[in-house]
Amino acid sequence: MVVLDPTTLINVLLIAISGTLVCIAVHFIPVGGAPAAMAQATGIGTGTVELAAGSGLVGLITASAMYAIPSVQADPNAMALVLAAGAMGSMIMLASTMLAGSLVYAYGVGVPFASAQVKKDPITGARQDLYMSKGTQGQGLPTVCFVSGIIGAALGGIGGALIYFVLVKIYATSALIGGSAAAVAGVFTMGVFYVNAVVPSYGVGGTIEGFHDPKFSRVIPKYALTSFVVSALCGILAILIGGGLI
Amino acid sequence: MSEIKETSPNTLMAFGVIGGLLGIYLTYILPLAGNAAGGPVKGLLTTIAPAAGALGGICAIVWGAEAVRRVAKYGLGTGVPSIGQIAMGMGIIAAMFGLSIVGQLTLAGPIVALLTASVIGLIIGWFAQNVIKMKIPVMIRCMTEIAAAGSLVIIGFSAAAAGSFEFGSLITLVFDNGIILGVFWIGAMAMLHPFNACLGPDEKQKRLLYLAFSTGAITMAVTGIAGIMTLGNAGIFTLLVGVVIWLIFYKKFWDEVYKDAASVLGTGLIPKTEA
Repeated sequence: MVVLDPTTLINVLLIAISGTLVCIAVHFIPVGGAPAAMAQATGIGTGTVELAAGSGLVGLITASAMYAIPSVQADPNAMALVLAAGAMGSMIMLASTMLAGSLVYAYGVGVPFASAQVKKDPITGARQDLYMSKGTQGQGLPTVCFVSGIIGAALGGIGGALIYFVLVKIYATSALIGGSAAAVAGVFTMGVFYVNAVVPSYGVGGTIEGFHDPKFSRVIPKYALTSFVVSALCGILAILIGGGLI
Repeated sequence: MSEIKETSPNTLMAFGVIGGLLGIYLTYILPLAGNAAGGPVKGLLTTIAPAAGALGGICAIVWGAEAVRRVAKYGLGTGVPSIGQIAMGMGIIAAMFGLSIVGQLTLAGPIVALLTASVIGLIIGWFAQNVIKMKIPVMIRCMTEIAAAGSLVIIGFSAAAAGSFEFGSLITLVFDNGIILGVFWIGAMAMLHPFNACLGPDEKQKRLLYLAFSTGAITMAVTGIAGIMTLGNAGIFTLLVGVVIWLIFYKKFWDEVYKDAASVLGTGLIPKTEA
């Protein structure tokens, strides 16, 4: 019957941590929503969930591709390799999105990049307020937002890859799932990822610039707690799917 | 806007839960009845059974779309699509858990999934209300309803593509070939699109419900295409029924739009008709 051995508990904990990582990652990504689409706010002009999920799912693909290599599965450091692959995939995805967005903002819309939340860019030290158009919340993607986005993508990719890595190993030994472990683990990871990407997006409320935004430190603790509890619940369910506790 | 009669949330919940579960269980009962009857009836019932799952999914989509309407009216700050995606995220977790945990008791699967989804939705709703403090009075109830509807959508359309809701056959017929991703995405679109398209000061429930039926029917048609690959003739039947329902309800939605609009002026692209 119910066997609460340390491995199971660690697996649940790992899934809870992964969910929390995804939640924190969302806050790093500079999203501007509809205002940014009109170059009236800093960030990429789309929703929080779309960006977080887009980069996270690419991370999931690269992580699962890495895990599918037989020599990686045999490697004792497989976890580090899979997580690194997930982080790389997400970072490349988000960096290319931000680069393409920046090209459009700079050469298409023709706005100078400026942050509305800080007077000087914490990384380059360049003055921001001089370049802000009247009545807007900043425009484009200043350096600090770009860097923040890359960090967020890495965290999101690691989070997604970690859920996948934990689940695919459990499901591979399950009698019910067996050979389809990759598919089932992938779909479950996607479910957990969406829940954890949407919940914090309510706190972000449409726009956030990145780690330098005052919103960042204000909302993170309670969202991280929510994500941790919800992901731990998901982790328990995930392990029960594989027949781990029964 | 008190003069407008709206269908109550409880009626729609009953419609979604009973209709959804009925459709899902028919995919199990109809082939059994066919086996008992034998002969040409058997072939007929086996062919139409998967479509029942998709019809159940449509009931759940209509319920979910209305729940999305009630919660998204308050302004979530992050767009309506996010709530459709969280619905499917919670739904898919609960559906996979519910269907797999029951083991040999296949029949209990959808109900366990529905209850699990409600619990997940309740917890997320409680956190949204009390920890995150979103101050949306209907948050807990709507999150629960949306999650439950999401799980029924996943099970209903998966059963339509696999011909059964037994977890083992879902793995080979829906998970391995990736149909589940189609069900996930198109189901999420079907649930979030009606309010996303209709929102605004003159939004009316009736119009939204017709649109929800038509987006559900689109999901059914796409599931039918997937079903042609996995089930053959049964998929063609699902596809055809889906297209017919879509035509009926899209026309109803169209008429409703004409009725609610102050005036409809032809631009030369769309033929002018009297509604």
